[in-house]
Amino acid sequence: MLPSYLTVAAILFCIGLYGALVKRNAIIVLLSLELMLNAVNLNLVAFSKYGVVPSLTGQIFSLFTITVAAAEAAIGVAILFALFRLRGTVNVDEFDKMRR
Amino acid sequence: MFNIDFTGEFAAFFVFSAIMISGAVLMISLDKVVHMVISMAAVFLGLAGMFVLLEAEFVAFVQVLIYAGAVSILMIFGIMMTKHHGGGRERAKPLHETLAAVSALSLFGILFYAIRTTAFPEPQPFQAGEDNTMAIGELLYTGYVIPFELLSVLLTVAFIGAIVLAKKEAD
Amino acid sequence: MEMYSQAAWLIPLFPLAAFLVLTALGRSFRRAGVLIGTLGSLAAFVLSLFIVIDRLDANTVDYNYAFDWMKIGDYTLRIGFEVTNLTAMMLVVVTLVSFLVNVYSAGYMKNDERITVFYGYVSLFTFSMLGLVLSDNLLSLYIFWELVGVCSFLLVGFWYAKPKARAAAKKAFIVTRIGDAGLLLGILLLFWYMPGHALDFTTIQSVFDGQSGAITTGITTLIALLIFLGAVGKSGQFPLHVWLPDAMEGPTPISALIHAATMVAAGVFLIARTYDIFQDSAAAMETVAYIGGFTAIFAATIALAQNDIKRILAYSTVSQLGYMMMALGLGSLTGGVFHLFTHAFFKALLFLGAGSIIHAVHTQNIHEMGGLGAKMKVTAWTFAIGALALSGIPPLSGFWSKDMILTAAFETNPLLFFVGLAAAFCTALYMSRLFFLVFTGKPGAASSGAQESPVTMTLPLVVLAVPAVAAGFVETPWNGWFGSWLSGEAEAAHGSGVAIVASIAVGLLGIYVGWLVYGKGSVSRTALADRVPWLVKLLERSYYVDELYAVFVVKPLKLLGAILIVIDEYVIGGLVRLTGIATVSAGRLAARLQNGQVQTYSLAAVIGFVIIVIALVGRRFLP
Repeated sequence: MLPSYLTVAAILFCIGLYGALVKRNAIIVLLSLELMLNAVNLNLVAFSKYGVVPSLTGQIFSLFTITVAAAEAAIGVAILFALFRLRGTVNVDEFDKMRR
Repeated sequence: MFNIDFTGEFAAFFVFSAIMISGAVLMISLDKVVHMVISMAAVFLGLAGMFVLLEAEFVAFVQVLIYAGAVSILMIFGIMMTKHHGGGRERAKPLHETLAAVSALSLFGILFYAIRTTAFPEPQPFQAGEDNTMAIGELLYTGYVIPFELLSVLLTVAFIGAIVLAKKEAD
Repeated sequence: MEMYSQAAWLIPLFPLAAFLVLTALGRSFRRAGVLIGTLGSLAAFVLSLFIVIDRLDANTVDYNYAFDWMKIGDYTLRIGFEVTNLTAMMLVVVTLVSFLVNVYSAGYMKNDERITVFYGYVSLFTFSMLGLVLSDNLLSLYIFWELVGVCSFLLVGFWYAKPKARAAAKKAFIVTRIGDAGLLLGILLLFWYMPGHALDFTTIQSVFDGQSGAITTGITTLIALLIFLGAVGKSGQFPLHVWLPDAMEGPTPISALIHAATMVAAGVFLIARTYDIFQDSAAAMETVAYIGGFTAIFAATIALAQNDIKRILAYSTVSQLGYMMMALGLGSLTGGVFHLFTHAFFKALLFLGAGSIIHAVHTQNIHEMGGLGAKMKVTAWTFAIGALALSGIPPLSGFWSKDMILTAAFETNPLLFFVGLAAAFCTALYMSRLFFLVFTGKPGAASSGAQESPVTMTLPLVVLAVPAVAAGFVETPWNGWFGSWLSGEAEAAHGSGVAIVASIAVGLLGIYVGWLVYGKGSVSRTALADRVPWLVKLLERSYYVDELYAVFVVKPLKLLGAILIVIDEYVIGGLVRLTGIATVSAGRLAARLQNGQVQTYSLAAVIGFVIIVIALVGRRFLP
């Protein structure tokens, strides 16, 4: 079963990557990042059951990841608010201050 | 390759993965932002189901609580509090999108190839513990207590930071 | 008994030390600078005099000292100094003239702002010239040869604010370079073919003297001609003589020192030093003789029509150097070196006298002078001595040396004998023209306020007048002391009544004609110009050699330069610009990638990651 889980995780990860690369809306980009993190979590939990040495450590790690992802989402949305107040938009391609 | 017995686990796995992948694809392809978030919530829920299949009940519970609940709601708040030109077409960047699609696909190809060619050894039987939640709790407060505490600090800092960032600037 | 010869290496060091001190002092120490320069050359002169007195004994041997300079594989380059009777004579000539010029310049250059620099250059030149004379091998001789060339360049262009002086300095340097390139090639050929790659004069002498056949006649001729090319450049022989008259733009003491007495004689000295090579090749000897003879008559005729006092003397120098070359080519080493010896004194005397005149009247045009004899008695008398010596009037020094050359020509080559006689006639004519126009007759436009020069300038004239009169007695038709001293072989008394009589006759005739035209005025000065104006014009313009060079050498070279510039501009420069454009456009492309959008950056990162993974993993699929 392990390869099946891993394949699903890889599909999710790549969809998330594509979304993060092409979506204009910053919120969707954030969501895509969450999708990629979720794919990683799936891998962690799958290995915790079907790995060579099964243990709960994988689950613990996925908990940590979820926590960090939650923090990241919160910070990301907060930054979005700040940016929106500043620029009046949430489109990623209009945030090109780094160019100058 | 796919010589898998058609067990109940496989059926459930198939259903959940179908939900997740279609949710993810919808998230990418839908026009309206709110629809995207909702389809994303479906992905989160499907993942929670997967966790249950993998005998990680506590993680599945946390997944539903944090992702399907908190993060989705947070994103919807984000959408509501920022302005969106409803259904504004994406600006055409064909080269960029093609390149992104190609690289994402080739990354998947690489990963798939790696997964397919790796010979995973037969795993030892998995001990989920009598009570999955209790086992995880014990582990967290014994072996992983320092990362756990560090993570608490990180979370606190992150949320305070988020509040400060999102607060309107005091005039 | 060769104590002094062993110390000969000290001689060049005096002027070198003077040069270094003068350079270190800077321009402010004017009087001290003059003193230092003069003392340096005086010390060198005194030591040289001791060496010569030491060597007057008939059976002295050459003194040579050399040390290993560098070892390259099996080859060892030795360098050192050598004192022979020839070099000892040159030492005295160089240091004496140098010392007198130093004294003279104290008056002549008194008001020049850069007098200290001038003295520094003169000291450097003296050092280089002495080094050239003392060198015991061709390589170090070549180094000093170039050094004197540099000094000549610096001193001709000393008044570099004058455009003509700058041009003359450049011309002197570039034209002599042609000859120097030949000399360098000759030295390289010699190095290639000599047994053991030896370049010192002793070995050269033994290789070529013994008829050992180590080097074939063809190669010998080639080497000799290349060395002669160097001498042609340095000694102002046709066709490379054009720089010498122009070099008169330099200060007059420099003309006396470098362009009359010492450096231009270096070519003659070089041939005398490598005479064994020339003696092995009849063709080379003939070339030297004919080039010398042609230059002698060629330059003498030009001197007839010049109006600039220094240019007349310059062409006279070219002509006399031609005489020396002719003598060497005719096989009379003694004659050539003897004429070098006497010529150095009376030509330096003439130039210094001309300097004294120029100092007084502030012009160089002889038609603006006149009647100066009464006002400048010392200058006039010493100049007369110099002029008579140059014209070959007995018993002055020039007569004996010129007579010796004419005798040699009379005995071996009648054609060159008549050429020599004609040149002697022209010499006497232009010198009398010069003398009568400047010192006698009615005062000219510029000679009204003229007065005698200060004693620092007249004293060297008087001192030089002594050897100009007496130096000829070391070698007379009935006393071959100089020749035997020089060559180490007992030389029989020589002489030919015909040559002596003819020589005196043409000299006197030249002076008489000059007196008739320019002194007494019984023949119109323009008589010749009225009859054959083209001839006079031809002579005035020096046979249009400069113009010919301009058309046939300078123009094509400039064209070549222009073509090369075009190639440089569009081919080389194009390549350079192409590199620049390529870099800039690559930068533009990269800048377009850097559009400030995070997604573009992360896409680039992902693509890079994929490529790296493919590259790392893909290796296993390769055969």
